[in-house]
Amino acid sequence: MKSIRSAVGLLYWAALACVLGACQKSESVIKIGLAGVQTGSDGQIGTTMFYGSQIALDEWNAKGGLLGKKIAFVSRDDEGKPNQAVAVAQELVSEGVVAVIGHFNSGCTIPASEIYQQSGILQITPGSTNPQVTERGIRTLFRIVGRDDQQGVVAATYARNTLKASKIAVLHNKTAYGQGLGEEVRKTFEKLGGEVVLFSGISGEEMDFRATLSAVRSSGAQAVFWGGMYGQAGPLLVQLRDSGLNLPFLSGDGTIVQEFLNTAGAKATGVYLTFGPDFEKIPAAQGFLEKYRARFGPEGPYSIYGYEAANVLFKAIEEAGTTESAKVADVLRSRTFDTSLGPVAFDEKGDLRTANYIIWTVRNGKFVTEAP
Amino acid sequence: MEFLVNGLARGAIYALVALGYTMVYGILGMINFAHGEIFMIGMFACVFAIGVLSAAWGPVLGVNLVLGAVLAIVLASAYGYANERIAYRRLRRAHILAPLTSAIGLSIVLQNFIMLGVSKDKIDFPRFDSGPLTDNLVRLGPEASVSLLQIVILVSSVGLMGGLFFLIHRTRIGLAMRATAQDRRMAALVGVPVNRAIAFTFVLGSSLAAAAGVMVSMYQGVLRFDSGYSMGLKAFTAAVLGGIGNIPGAVLGGFIIGMSEDVTSYSIGNDWKDGTTFIILMLVLTLRPRGLLGERVADKV
Repeated sequence: MKSIRSAVGLLYWAALACVLGACQKSESVIKIGLAGVQTGSDGQIGTTMFYGSQIALDEWNAKGGLLGKKIAFVSRDDEGKPNQAVAVAQELVSEGVVAVIGHFNSGCTIPASEIYQQSGILQITPGSTNPQVTERGIRTLFRIVGRDDQQGVVAATYARNTLKASKIAVLHNKTAYGQGLGEEVRKTFEKLGGEVVLFSGISGEEMDFRATLSAVRSSGAQAVFWGGMYGQAGPLLVQLRDSGLNLPFLSGDGTIVQEFLNTAGAKATGVYLTFGPDFEKIPAAQGFLEKYRARFGPEGPYSIYGYEAANVLFKAIEEAGTTESAKVADVLRSRTFDTSLGPVAFDEKGDLRTANYIIWTVRNGKFVTEAP
Repeated sequence: MEFLVNGLARGAIYALVALGYTMVYGILGMINFAHGEIFMIGMFACVFAIGVLSAAWGPVLGVNLVLGAVLAIVLASAYGYANERIAYRRLRRAHILAPLTSAIGLSIVLQNFIMLGVSKDKIDFPRFDSGPLTDNLVRLGPEASVSLLQIVILVSSVGLMGGLFFLIHRTRIGLAMRATAQDRRMAALVGVPVNRAIAFTFVLGSSLAAAAGVMVSMYQGVLRFDSGYSMGLKAFTAAVLGGIGNIPGAVLGGFIIGMSEDVTSYSIGNDWKDGTTFIILMLVLTLRPRGLLGERVADKV
């Protein structure tokens, strides 16, 4: 008994020594948090975003790192859940990260950002589009992607003016992102003289939409907008077509994922999605895409945003000459960065000065650009 | 009209899963919280079996689907039986909280097993096999139509429930189950094979859940490792609503919940669906604490 106890004691001290040793060693690296959804229904989109950032990290470390130190990522999975995002944020703070790239879901970014703000940690999100992310006056929070009030305007205008729909049904997944985007579509669609005949929330785990689709049918809608993610968009579209409703199906950036096409298959007709430019056609992005595909396979929609979020952050830290968040934030606000997304400049709120949403569609089982 | 059929189809599924909860409660007085996971295992087993069969002798329409469904039922029953042997049988004399905790643990294990061993993303049901059922619409009027699959769901659920009633009331093993439910010790004293009756209850409940799983995975087109959670919750609610332990009660509860969900989301809005369900549950439990058809006092969790 005694020998067991002393063995346990020895192990304890050995473990403690290891932890302390690791702490001392970590002084020579700059720790950056990488937070976002890795598992669950949005897992694929979040994982491919992480891979993008990973490529930027390896490029910088190959060049010799940042401020004379190597950069290291501390990555955490928030499972796309707001409460888990808060736990992840607290873990990252205690890990001693100087900045965070993430999160992906707006519903996660918003609560997590308050913890980063209290701890004076800079945050840059590659994927959260809800307006509230930057509307709360957090000076050290940036996003390298457009806003839903820009995205929703593009979608609603397309439905009203190009597709000539006068009645639309808006369905959303009750999250900050999905419902927020739905609200923006409603606002713009009504402003353009259209009528929103149905505005309904469907929670994240539901996969049987037939009751709502009956309501869509009897509402006389001429188009359906889905504010939500690809996991539900696939079955929703399939059940829409199964029940004989051949209405145009509009959605946002959360749907433009290969998984959506895998589920929808040949039923992906009349699909219109808002998203950024086609990076296949942008020469500056080719280097990244080649590198990504060689290492991780097909890229996700947010891979390049993950990549450039990391690049812009590293450039700003280098120019500031410090990892102090207030100074890095000043650099981010004052400069224009040259990236494969085009020139990136942030406004007072931390949003992009120019967002570039365009309409995509599906042809022959592939996402292609439709119209500006 | 259309939403009534939607509601009936949804209710039939809830009823099938609720039967598993209510039968286990009836015989053991415990709630098998891993039952939703058996439903999910049924979904995955069917897709897996169809994949294997298509690889073995090519995609044969209809045959693969039926064989896949049968294999799913067999595999899920095996899981249900194993659950009873591993997680519950040894705890039969323990305090009631012990098998309850065991059930919750089992549900976590099964979910994580599928998440880590199969996929953390959703899986699509092979459209080739389900297409003829989902794509063919039966017109009911100018504005309403029902898919062949919905008719299949209704007919086969009612058939399965009829079979269950026959089994329980007209066969020897059904008699053994009823005797065990009434008084386990007394039944053992007069020679009823109690262990076999209890194991059979689990097998029966699991095969109904697997049948429901096969139909739901075709109906929604996709399946995921956490698909069993919300189904389990709803079916459990249905069992409580009808009076847990009471078999016709579970069927009634399933149909009430299915109908109320679809009627609410059609006429008021999808956001009110769960609210209405639980308001109905609260009202029923306030007026009839033992559920609509419940007889026994629910003194166990």
